Amino acid sequence: MSRTATYNTTVNWKGEYWGHIRMGNGPEMDFSAPPDALGHAGVLTPEDAFVAAVNTCVMMMFIWSSERFKLDLVSYECRAEGTKVIELDRTETFTQVTLRPRIVVRTDAAGREGTLKRLQRALDSAVKYSLVANSIKSRLVLEPETVATS
Amino acid sequence: MPNDQENSVKLTVDKFIFRFPRDLRYSEAGLWIRQEGELLRMGLSDFTQQRNGDIAFATLKQVGPVDVEDELASIETVKVNISIPSPFKGTIVELNSELEESPELINQEPYGRGWMVLVQPENLAADLGKLMRAEAYSDLARQQAEAELKR
Repeated sequence: MSRTATYNTTVNWKGEYWGHIRMGNGPEMDFSAPPDALGHAGVLTPEDAFVAAVNTCVMMMFIWSSERFKLDLVSYECRAEGTKVIELDRTETFTQVTLRPRIVVRTDAAGREGTLKRLQRALDSAVKYSLVANSIKSRLVLEPETVATS
Repeated sequence: MPNDQENSVKLTVDKFIFRFPRDLRYSEAGLWIRQEGELLRMGLSDFTQQRNGDIAFATLKQVGPVDVEDELASIETVKVNISIPSPFKGTIVELNSELEESPELINQEPYGRGWMVLVQPENLAADLGKLMRAEAYSDLARQQAEAELKR
């Protein structure tokens, strides 16, 4: 049996299509469904939370792996997109999550090639070691834009 | 031609599979050792490389004298830093320079292009006698893996 750790959240129904969530790490907020599913605009939804979980987890793992690969990270921005499929029986599944990170690292001209190679390896490791990426059954697609600047 | 099962000891722990070629010897610290005439070629065993994760950097001791327990290699992975001690006293005669640019070879081909150092041991016969065969090393790896899973 492998080592384990647990994380928790608690939700309460507030009436109609409103809920309130308390996260194990402290923050709490109202949530709803997306407006096209009888929910409300401007608040957390399960769909956004799912895509955000992948996006935030891979980013935090990349920050770690970029340090391990000794990259001089300048910036990281990633738009993540989850693709939902509505099946014939009306069940719904996120079949794919696409991550489009734009990553800028600092390097000198001589080290550019090696730096970009380490950057790609750091990104691959971030996905490999991301807890959430490892836990989903959706296909994970990475479409990075990497920039080496002096 | 012998199949892979005959050439290697296969260890399965949880969802992981580790292979230990029978023609190699192994140190307790997780090195494999291949005799090549009077020289010994060394690298990280499949168990050691898988257990420690993606390798970011592998810094090898320079060519020259090496003593027992000297740091033969310093390995930085995405998850941990490990220090690999030399099991022998002797002279390092060659380093795998490919690892400077491509340390991932240790993960990809631990028994091939991921080799680390070539050593001329001071006492070849005695040094080889201290090492484990694949079956014994597989038992040790299983114990270490099971202890790790119970932590």
